[in-house]
Amino acid sequence: MRLPNWLSQHLAALRALLVFTVLLGLAYPLAFVALGRLPGLSDKAGGSLVANGSVLIGQSFTDADGNPVAKYFQSRPSAAGDGYDPTATSASNLGPNDVVDTADRKSLLTQVCARSLAVGKLEGVDGSRPFCTADGVGAVLAVFHRDGLTGPVTRVVSVNQTGTPFLATYQGVTVEPAKNGEDYQALGGVITPIRGDAPADPVVPADAVTASASGLDPDISPAYAALQVPRIARERGMTEAAVRALVKDNTDDRALGFLGEPGVNVLELNRALDQQK
Amino acid sequence: MAGWLFVISLVVALVAVYRPFGDYMYRVVSGTRDARVERGIYRLVGVDSKAQQTWGVYARSVLAFSAVSILFLYLFLRVQNRLWLSLGMPQMNTHVSWNTAVSFVTNTNWQAYAGESALGHLVQMAGLAVQNFASASVGIAVAVALIRGFAARSNGQLGNFWVDLTRVTLRILLPICVVATLVFMIAGMVQNLSGGTDVTTLTGAAQHITGGPVASQEAIKELGTNGGGFYNVNAAHPFENPTTWTNWLEIFLLLLIPFSLPRVFGRMVGQNRQGYAIVAVMAVLAIASIALTVGFEVHGGGTVPQAVGSAMEGKEVRFGIPNSATYAAATTLTSTGAVDSFHDSYTPFGGMMPIVNMMLGEVAPGGTGSGLYGLLILATITVFVAGLMVGRTPEYLGKKIGAREMKLASLYFLVTPALVLIGTAAAFATGNNATALNVGPHGLSEVLYAFTSAANNNGSAFGGITVNTPWWDTALGLAMLLGRFLPLVLVLALAGSLARQKATPESEGTLPTHQPLFVGMVVGVTVVLVALTFLPALALGPIAEGLS
Amino acid sequence: MTLLAEKPPTQKAKPASVRGGLLDPQQLWRSLPDAVRKLDPRTLWHNPVMLIVEVGAVFTTVLSITDPSVLAWTITVWLWLTVVFANLAEAVAEGRGKAQASALRAAKQDTMAQLRDGGLIPATELKQGDVVVVVAGEIIPGDGDVIEGIASVDESAITGESAPVIRESGGDRSAVTGGTKVLSDRIVVKITQKPGESFVDRMIALVEGANRQKTPNEIALNILLAALTLVFLLSVVTLQPLAIFSKAWQAAAPDTAAIDAHGVTGIVLVSLIVCLIPTTIGALLSAIGIAGMDRLVQRNVLAMSGRAVEAAGDVNTLLLDKTGTITLGNRQAAEFVPVNGVDPRELAVAAQLSSLADETPEGRSIVVLAKNEFGLREQEPGFMTGATFVPFTAQTRMSGVDLGDRQIRKGAAAAVMRWAKSSSEEVGEIVDGISASGGTPLVVAENDRVLGVIHLKDVVKEGMRARFDEMRKMGIRTVMITGDNPRTAKAIADEAGVDDFLAEATPEDKLAYIRKEQEGGRLVAMTGDGTNDAPALAQADVGVAMNTGTSAAKEAGNMVDLDSDPTKLIEIVEIGKQLLITRGALTTFSITNDIAKYFAIIPAMFAAVYPGLDTLNVMRLHSPGSAILSAVIFNALVIVALIPLALRGVRYTPSSASALLRRNLWIYGLGGVIAPFLGIKLIDLLVQFIPGI
Repeated sequence: MRLPNWLSQHLAALRALLVFTVLLGLAYPLAFVALGRLPGLSDKAGGSLVANGSVLIGQSFTDADGNPVAKYFQSRPSAAGDGYDPTATSASNLGPNDVVDTADRKSLLTQVCARSLAVGKLEGVDGSRPFCTADGVGAVLAVFHRDGLTGPVTRVVSVNQTGTPFLATYQGVTVEPAKNGEDYQALGGVITPIRGDAPADPVVPADAVTASASGLDPDISPAYAALQVPRIARERGMTEAAVRALVKDNTDDRALGFLGEPGVNVLELNRALDQQK
Repeated sequence: MAGWLFVISLVVALVAVYRPFGDYMYRVVSGTRDARVERGIYRLVGVDSKAQQTWGVYARSVLAFSAVSILFLYLFLRVQNRLWLSLGMPQMNTHVSWNTAVSFVTNTNWQAYAGESALGHLVQMAGLAVQNFASASVGIAVAVALIRGFAARSNGQLGNFWVDLTRVTLRILLPICVVATLVFMIAGMVQNLSGGTDVTTLTGAAQHITGGPVASQEAIKELGTNGGGFYNVNAAHPFENPTTWTNWLEIFLLLLIPFSLPRVFGRMVGQNRQGYAIVAVMAVLAIASIALTVGFEVHGGGTVPQAVGSAMEGKEVRFGIPNSATYAAATTLTSTGAVDSFHDSYTPFGGMMPIVNMMLGEVAPGGTGSGLYGLLILATITVFVAGLMVGRTPEYLGKKIGAREMKLASLYFLVTPALVLIGTAAAFATGNNATALNVGPHGLSEVLYAFTSAANNNGSAFGGITVNTPWWDTALGLAMLLGRFLPLVLVLALAGSLARQKATPESEGTLPTHQPLFVGMVVGVTVVLVALTFLPALALGPIAEGLS
Repeated sequence: MTLLAEKPPTQKAKPASVRGGLLDPQQLWRSLPDAVRKLDPRTLWHNPVMLIVEVGAVFTTVLSITDPSVLAWTITVWLWLTVVFANLAEAVAEGRGKAQASALRAAKQDTMAQLRDGGLIPATELKQGDVVVVVAGEIIPGDGDVIEGIASVDESAITGESAPVIRESGGDRSAVTGGTKVLSDRIVVKITQKPGESFVDRMIALVEGANRQKTPNEIALNILLAALTLVFLLSVVTLQPLAIFSKAWQAAAPDTAAIDAHGVTGIVLVSLIVCLIPTTIGALLSAIGIAGMDRLVQRNVLAMSGRAVEAAGDVNTLLLDKTGTITLGNRQAAEFVPVNGVDPRELAVAAQLSSLADETPEGRSIVVLAKNEFGLREQEPGFMTGATFVPFTAQTRMSGVDLGDRQIRKGAAAAVMRWAKSSSEEVGEIVDGISASGGTPLVVAENDRVLGVIHLKDVVKEGMRARFDEMRKMGIRTVMITGDNPRTAKAIADEAGVDDFLAEATPEDKLAYIRKEQEGGRLVAMTGDGTNDAPALAQADVGVAMNTGTSAAKEAGNMVDLDSDPTKLIEIVEIGKQLLITRGALTTFSITNDIAKYFAIIPAMFAAVYPGLDTLNVMRLHSPGSAILSAVIFNALVIVALIPLALRGVRYTPSSASALLRRNLWIYGLGGVIAPFLGIKLIDLLVQFIPGI
């Protein structure tokens, strides 16, 4: 019996798909899984595991309450689950102008400001940043004009603060604190971030206040590591020079001198610190 | 500086392989001898490898293969919980399964799920990765069929889909993947069937280190411009992209085939300079786009990047900003969609560039095959306008661009913008834009990005938006399906129409399609058409955000 | 073509003297009623771009009535003007044809036809195969072939040429055209036309553009324009939900004339669509086509279809008849070659004497040469008494003179040698040499002594070589067709600078040559007049029949040259190219215009919501209202501004494709980007003073 043309065509397609599935979907990956069992490769194919995790996967060095454990170098903020959760990898996905806190979540700006403040406090340095208030939230006003977007200012609200506003007056109008749950944008306020007078080049490095792409970033920048050196030396009773030497040992420079950026592997660094004793 | 060296080194590497690799691919697709394995496959599949196909037969073969693939993958996802290596993952629900099946068969690899928490290893390997190979081969096959249309001397024959599919898979994709997998494993990508390892961190917390056949999948994901990550965070995940140099290699792999296919074009039409012209168009657009993306990202913009001091949100330390931006441009200039950083957190204009890249129709250099045929369509439209301006019935490579050719090319050009614009408008009209994470213009950009990515079969996203709702899965699934197969059929119809034509010999009066002037004009037409089509929508998204 | 009444006969159509596209402003006025009549949607249906503008105009009219404002009404008026201007372009183009058509109709009076079998019937009732008799003073009632008699005919009604022409039965001058007038004698004509399909009927239809069909390139271009229109339509329509969302989110943004809570207002939305869709080219497209045909008609060429005109632009190979096209019609004496021992002067004298009574151009040229080279005075034939002139006959193949016992003969080598009963190897060599160089040898003998040989040469027309070089630059091969032997043909071909030649060409050879070229994908153009040219004319992609030719030839070709000037083919090719270039250039211009319009309209629409977008207002236009209005006005005015260009065609100088592209891209591409920036700014400077804008 001759099959109709369209049917035989689809059967050929199905046979082709099955052949490919066996060849490319099973034989090809499984051959490499087998290869990955060989000594020399097995370590890496297995996930570069060490006693306390994987050297490729970042982890939090915090206690059960989420507070930094002071004797360890701290990793970057993470948006993976509750932090560095490989079963829920994620970035924050918050946009560059996410500046208004809502009842549901803190804005990215406020998160950055709060982290900067916290890191500054932990390391004993100035944690201030542009567009951040002294109490670590985004310095953002909702400015109401008489004619909507233009005209004299009639009302000003500091949208991320329920307490004392970071600014007393704005263009001669007294700044109000925000009420919880109020959407001042929807009420007709023009959202206006205020730069403030923080230095353009903050002491706390960028990677210390931003979540990574994977949420599992194993590295911190050499600058962030350097910022943490005095604390580590203090906590561990080491000289700063000794700590710096360890940092240097665990710094991966740019491959071939131009690929990527230098990074300090935090787990390896902390493991090295622990092994110092 | 290092950032520019990174880009230059990629350019140098791609220039170096253009001829040898292009020539190799040319021999693969135009050779007449079948390897023994291939003969075995043809026998198993039951096709005659010597039989030539007209465009209709070719198209039906492509569609049949793709339809069967979608169905197969859908069922696979629906029953994965009962299969070996499911890691205890539940079955995928209907709408996400549909979305995922379409997504992988269309070379989009849009992911409405998170790999590490939704899929077992078997469905990743034998379901998704197989489509990574197949969809890439389909793209190349169709591109080659179009070239045959240009090169054919009025016989109407476009080759044999099954042969193209098999040869491209076995002789181009697989060998490179084998090498790349090995290199990736040496770099530290995992390649195992483990369900994961529970470890105790230094501070005593529990962490579950995942496993999986990642390296083998990563290789084809990049080489085939697929982009579907094994894990949710894609190539930002240290297991998918452990080092600074694997980052370079991944970008190289995803640009390799699309940038070398113009050589195949030049060889097949018998004029290498035509290939150079096409690759020049791709290169001009790509380099400009990468320069802009890197420039925008490095120089900040937006309140948060200014507060932070740089646009480090959503980027990995080891890659840094310039290399991440290069990856973002490369992945959207091709139809890859893999990411090593999260575009949603990019600066306003830096984040606009990936959208614009996709809106260009992913032609610089575009997906495997789809980039070349997309660009040849744009070149055809350019030839038409330019041809009129030199006072002749327009012809490209001796083939007249008449009413039928213009109809097909115009329809091709219409499909993707229509899907993007209608989809985006529909999301807003129905209130489904509410699932966007960000507000205001950036929220609009998230929706626009989603449909741009789906209709252009890219797969990357402004990831803040939640898209695993029935509406989004269905709408984006349709956008991917139509965005892939309508253009593909139109391309094959065009190929058929060209293949039936006699070639007009070249003369002084013929529009030269290999000179810088023409290259510039194709670039101009591409940019102007895209700008004119999408500027209003972009004005309310990234441009409004960037200029605020 | 212009007609008898308007044109003195001396002023034959030459490119320089043709009133190409100089637009008479009065013509715009005269065409206005037609333009308004064309607002009928059923008429506009064939132009989708303008139809959309009209639908938009209707929509804004309704909006302006329900919610009147100065801006709304001004924009509405200008939208209507946009459609009217587009119609005007077409009406003007058609108007020129209509004037010619009415003159032609006048020529086509109600004539009665005298059937040979007796009976008098109206000319309109003549059928194919009817045989009519026409005598001096009568109008020929229909197209046909003379089957009996000879007559001089005044064809000025169709050719504009007042000198009468001879029409006779048999041969290649047998065709007569209905509407022309027999001046002398009587002829019997067999009608070859179908009722209502006479040459004049077709001419009228043609110049009126009545059943004008879109040409292939026009169709393809229309598809592209439709696609662009659709894409812009989509991009504007789908903007609305996004605009609503943005407006709602930016709660502080006030409602403006451009945008409110319901999104972008209808007026502005329509304005944006109209500005973006390719209205410029859409408006001018059909005018360009009509004007292209018109330019041909002005050069006294009738194209039976626009397709043929377009094909002319694509021609790769041009077949040209040698005689009359490449060379002057006749050969001329170039040299006297004496045989050994004969004084050259003696030869010249003998040659002159033998040619004194020879009134053929060849004969006269011998006398001229003798005078120029040896100062021999021309003598009146009657001056030499007692001389008997022997005329040329086909049997003797020589002519000469008998002066007493001096018998001088000149003629074909073999004939003269036989007559002189002499055989000389030397003469043979000279004769062969001349033949080889493409010349014609005439042997001169006195009594039984061969004196030498006159070398007759084809003279290539002045400027032909330059013309062919031009053609080569345009990528066109020229092929000379001749009945000469290959050696002769080659020599002339080399001298004239053609690319190839076809020697000893029979009609079958021509046909075969055309087929061969077409096999290779080339398009072929040729001219022809004889009945035996008909198959080749039909086969050629562009076949130009001479008006002097037979009806069969005129039927077979797709163009008729009323001047019967074979070099016209070159001009036809240029007109064909110019037609396409004009379309391409205006399309480019139309699309690149959009860039500036975006910079005007997008900030105008959305700066009220996102003030930052005012950065895009690079022209610093006065207000959102003035910006939108300026863009709409510019869009309308540019149509009017380009009507002359559409009618005249883009300047065309023969050059290579890349040179042409470069030039046109600079002018119309770059110009298209820049012009609207200037234009819109300028208009904005004016409209800002309108109160309420």
